[in-house]
Order: sequence, then C-alpha cells, then structure tokens
Amino acid sequence: MMELGARCVVKRQMSKHASLVAKMLLLLIVAALTLPLHVAASGQVTSQAVAATTQCGHVSLQAMIDDATPGDTVVVPAGTWQAPLHIDKPLTLEGQAWPVIQGDGSGDVIRISAPDVTVRGLVVRGSGISLDREDAAIRSSGANTVIENNRIEDALFGVYLEQAPDSIVRGNTIHGMELPISRRGDGLKIFYSPRTLIENNVMRDTRDALLWYSPYSIVRGNDFATGRYGLHMMQSDHHLIESNIFRNNSVGVYVMYGTGFELRRNLLADNRGPSGYGVGLKEASDVLLEGNRIVNNRAGVYSDSSPLQPETAVTYHNNLFAYNEIGLEMLPNTQRNRFQDNIFLDNGEQVNVYGGGDLTHNAWAVDGRGNYWSDYAGFDANADAIGDLPYTSKSLFDNLAGSHPELRLFHLSPASDALDLAAKAFPIFAPQPRMSDPAPLMQPPALPDTPGLTPPPTAINLAAAAAMVMLALSILAAGTRRRRRQRHTLSAQAA
Amino acid sequence: MTAKVIWALAQKELRDALHNRWFLLYTLAFIGLALALSYMSLAGAGIAGFAGFGRTAASLINLVLLIIPLMALTIGAQSLAHEQEQGTLAYLLAQPVTRVEVFAGKYLGLALSLLASLGLGFGIAGVVLALANGAGSPAAYVSLVGRTFLLSLTMLSVGFLVSAFTKRAGVAIGIGLFLWLAFVFLGDLGLMGTAITLRLPVEQLLWLSLLNPLQVFKMAAILDINATLDLLGPAGIYAMQEYGAQLRGLFLMLTVAWIVAPALAAYVRFHIRGDL
Repeated sequence: MMELGARCVVKRQMSKHASLVAKMLLLLIVAALTLPLHVAASGQVTSQAVAATTQCGHVSLQAMIDDATPGDTVVVPAGTWQAPLHIDKPLTLEGQAWPVIQGDGSGDVIRISAPDVTVRGLVVRGSGISLDREDAAIRSSGANTVIENNRIEDALFGVYLEQAPDSIVRGNTIHGMELPISRRGDGLKIFYSPRTLIENNVMRDTRDALLWYSPYSIVRGNDFATGRYGLHMMQSDHHLIESNIFRNNSVGVYVMYGTGFELRRNLLADNRGPSGYGVGLKEASDVLLEGNRIVNNRAGVYSDSSPLQPETAVTYHNNLFAYNEIGLEMLPNTQRNRFQDNIFLDNGEQVNVYGGGDLTHNAWAVDGRGNYWSDYAGFDANADAIGDLPYTSKSLFDNLAGSHPELRLFHLSPASDALDLAAKAFPIFAPQPRMSDPAPLMQPPALPDTPGLTPPPTAINLAAAAAMVMLALSILAAGTRRRRRQRHTLSAQAA
Repeated sequence: MTAKVIWALAQKELRDALHNRWFLLYTLAFIGLALALSYMSLAGAGIAGFAGFGRTAASLINLVLLIIPLMALTIGAQSLAHEQEQGTLAYLLAQPVTRVEVFAGKYLGLALSLLASLGLGFGIAGVVLALANGAGSPAAYVSLVGRTFLLSLTMLSVGFLVSAFTKRAGVAIGIGLFLWLAFVFLGDLGLMGTAITLRLPVEQLLWLSLLNPLQVFKMAAILDINATLDLLGPAGIYAMQEYGAQLRGLFLMLTVAWIVAPALAAYVRFHIRGDL
C-alpha cells in the first residue's frame, strides 16, 4: 500500500442510535493510536455530525474504509492510492481534486459488496485484462449503488453492476484499453440489476454498454462512441433510451430479445462496418422509435423478426433516416411495423429487403399520413400536403442486389441506372414493388432536436469552391493572354 | 525537347479548345448538370441539421462517370487525327519542333483545358452547395475533384491512343464513342451477367472490375467520402478487410497505369508512324 503524507478526512454522519459521547471517544481512540496528539484538537463537533481531521500518512485507503462506520463519507484527497479496494459497508467514497485509484493490473480495482455505497470524483485505473474473470474498474453487487462523476481509464470492464438493483451510473467518463475489439470488455455491464439509471456518461474505446436482464432501466444523455455496440440490450424489458449520442460504433443500439423499448431523440451516426447499423432490432417487441436522427450509418435500422410477440408493433414516428447506405434494412419476415411522419432523405437505398421478398405486411402510413421520401416523384393536385400517388420502392438493380449482394459493387455505376431504365422502358423486366407508402408527405415534417448536431464548415467550403473557379479561369487566361509572346517564341525557334 | 516549346504548344491547344464547339458544349453541359444536381440535393440539407454530403456526392460521382469519359475520350480522339486530316499537323512538324514536343504540348494543353472545365463545373456547384450549407467536408470535395481530374487524364490517354491509330477525325470519334459505351455500360453489364451466371467469388469480381478505370475512380471517390467501401456490399467489405489502408495506393497505382500506358503507346505509334 502506498504511503502518503496527505490529509485524509473522514466525515462521520451521526448514527441515530449512537450517542455523541461514544462517537467522540471512538474518534479519540483512533486518533491517539495512529497520530500525534495535537491533531485530535482540530476535531470539530457540530450538532449534526462529528467531523475529524486526521493527519493520516502511513494509512492506506483500505484501512480508512475498514475504519469507517456505515453511513460515513470518506473523503479521498488528491494523490495516487493503491488498489484493489473492497467496500463492504454502506459508505460514500468521495474524491477531492481527482485522486487516482491505481489498480495493480489484475482483478477488479474497486469492489463493492454492500448496498447504499456511493463512489464519486475518483480517477480509477489499471484493472486486470482477463475476459474470463471480467476484470472491472468498479464492480458492485449492492443495491442502490451510486457511481458518479468518476473518470475510468485503462480498464477492461468499466462499471460492472452485478445484481445491484436501483443503482445510478451518472456523469462518468469511461475509456477502455487499447486492445483489439475481440479482447476488450464492456465499458458498462449491467447484469440482473433492474431499474438502473445510466445518465450523462461518456464512453470510448470499449466493447458494449450492455444491459442484460435489467428491466426498467433508463439510458439518458450519454455519449457512447468507438465501441462495438454503443448500447446492447439482451433479454431485458421496458427501457427508455433518450437523448443519447451513439457514434462511430459498429452498431449504435442493438435490441435483442425483449419487450417494451422507447428510443427517443437519439443521434445515431457513422455506425459502420460489415454489420454497421444505427439501430438493430432482433426479436424485439413493442418498440417505439420517435424523433431519432439516424444519419450516415451503413444501414439506418436493421430489423429481424421484430416484433416477435403477436399483438405488439414496432412504431417508427418522426425519425430522420438520412445519408445511410441503406435507410431501412428489413428481413422479409418483418411484419406489423408502423411508419408515420418519418423522413427518408437521400439514403443510398431507402428500403432494402435482405435476401429478397417484400415488406407489404407493414403499415407504411398510419391514419392516412405516411412519410417523406426524398426520391418521391408524385404530385399533390388537391393540395392536402399528401402525395396523390403512392410511393413505391422498386428497382430492378436493388432487387438484383437483394438476391446477389455482391452486385452492390456496381452501385452508383451508370450501368446499374441503365438496368433500372430498361426495367421502366420494358415492363417485362419490371420488378415487384417491395413496399408502398399510400400517403407520402410532400414536405418533410419538423423534427425535435437531438444532441450532437454540428453545422458544416461553410466558410472553408466556400473558399475551396471559389479557389476552383479561380484556378479554372487562370488556366484559361494563361492560354489566351500570351499570344504575341508565343509567336515570338516559335519564330525564334525557327530562326 | 524544351519546356518552353511544349508550353507554347500547350497554349495553342488551350486556345483551340476555347474555339472547339465540342469542348464548349461539354463544359456547359457539365456545369449545368453539376449545378442542377447540387440544387436538387439541397432540398434536404436544411432538414437534417447536419453536414451531409451523401446523395449529392453520389449523384456527382454518377454524373462524372457519365460525362467526363465522354468529354476526355472525344477530345483525345480528335487531337492528332483532326490536325492530321486538316494538314495542320504536317505544318506544325515542319517547324523546328520534335515529335515529343508536339505530343507533350498537345497532351498538356488538353489536360489543362479539361482541368479548367472541371474547375468551373465543380467550383460553381461548390459555391451553391456551400452557401446553402449542403456541402460536407471541404477535403472530401477537393479530393473528388482531384480524382475526377485523374479520371479525365486516363480517358484522355485512351483517346490519344485511338487518335494515333486513325487517320480521320470522324473515325477516331466513332471509336472513342464506342469505347465510352464499353467503359461506362458494356463492361459493367457484362461483368454483372458473368457474376450471376458463373457465380464469381467476390475477390475475382473485385479484381475484374478494377480493370476498368471508371470503377477504380468510383471506389476511390467513395473511399474518400465514406472512409469505407461498405456501400459496395460484400466485395467492398472484402476489399477493406483484405487491403485496408493499401487501397488508396492501389487505386492511385491503377489510375497512373491507365494514364501512362496508353499515352506511351500512343506516342510510340505517333513516333514510328512517320507519315503525316
């Protein structure tokens, strides 16, 4: 254990049945045993609590935790403290000016086995790297754990809640280890811990934020990037996922096997790779996606057998699908999905049926109101803001690519456009429509705000474009200006 | 071979290009289409609240693939054949200039006029895009222009090759148009058919398609804009996993090979032909 000359502070909450005198006596004994006498004099007595300031060099953090009585607040001053730590009673461990809790590179760094423990304001680093033991920076198996405003670095698993219901993980920054994705652990693993609140955390370079068998948990205001699955929910029901940013992961949010999910106002951007999805739904029932911006992913939403439960639906309302290679990729077994007021804007392919087939068993308009499609080519003669012709997605090339995915290589080639043109000109080739929106919107509906929006660099773009025009003009000028001198050169050569 | 003479001849080509109706027509068509595409893609720029260059870039790539080879092939095909037909080539070669200088001057002049035409088209469209916040990152746009220029050089070289082997401009342009059809449509359609009937493995499909400089341009442009080739399905993902960071170098090498090889062959033919 590291020795420190720093001042350690233990604030003791008065327990309701302990007398003030007993508290004072205990404190004096502890002080007398470990420290010079003059320190005891600085102990302050208030009506509510007894606070003692101790000069506690030569005392490890673990010893302070062991000394504390349940309900205490152990204030950890700045410095580097050796871990592992084990908290086995209700305590608050609070860092001042970011003390570093340094693990020894094996096992967990902080382990919590009691309920009502709060860990706040610490830098926790140096867990082991065993995926079998699932070495974590902070692991808790106590109810009502609060893990708040910590910085977790160089950890295999970041925060691991294992049968710790009603816990809060808030405002933490979690950085994983520099490992290939197959050897990383989960930045957040919430396992059998129902009603957990995960709020305003930032997570980078880990595997997943995983919610497993932890129903009624809420995920709000987080920023999860550069991992495998931004948020991964398995066998876990009734979740609210709100105002988060999921960016540059392999999959933004993956919902597997569960019922009751609300995804509202999230930004899901740049999630790419072989299975790059903004949102993946696999056998998920009763799902609502509302007001999400799903931008520049390989596939905006991938849906397989969702909803699974009969009598439930997957509802897409007021989402933006923009600039994805594929806006919506669905397996042909997808039914009872409902779409209203969504914007499908300039996706490479707006809707794709994976493996061929059609999606006609879904409601592409609800109550006579469909979605906005940027490639809609109809008209609105009766001026009710709803197109008079249905929007249909049918393209011979897209159909071909559905059954022969390798042909996507020719995406954006004029040859693939020629195929579609041929299909229009000679209807014998015309493919079956894969879906049809009977009431497409003429104007895109307004969207709610999501976090993480950045405007493009207009000034630089403008300068670059202007420079191109100037270059072109100066080349043309160079060709015409020096006619006289050129003749001169040629005649000089002739001479 | 002196740079001065080559530059003088290049200037002559530039001047001729400004008087060439084909060239003016292509340039105006390119500017017009680039503008129209950019304007149409702006419809959504406001809604996303986002720097997005997806569909605009895609349609620009599509436009480039159609019109730039047409422009470069026909201009290249005319270059030597037209002057020979008119008799001006004989006049030019009677001057104290070498054949290398004539060839290099012509190539440089036409390359610069293509660059000017691209600069105008992309530049004007770019101003419109930038003003309406429809453009993405400036680097992606500039690299798209650079790659388009390289593509135009490959087609210019092929055009020169056609020109060196024909004596009449009409024939040269005819062959150029057929080659355009082959590069843009027939090659890809044939490859698609082959892939379906023979069940080609993705790596063979990828390499066969890379023989076409247009496909090389397309993949390089997509790689610049998206940083991956996911868009191109299994073959694209295979290319990313197999070659990864080397892809850019590979694309550049293939493009340079398509620029240098036909141009060299054209020069050799031009040199040994001897006749005027």
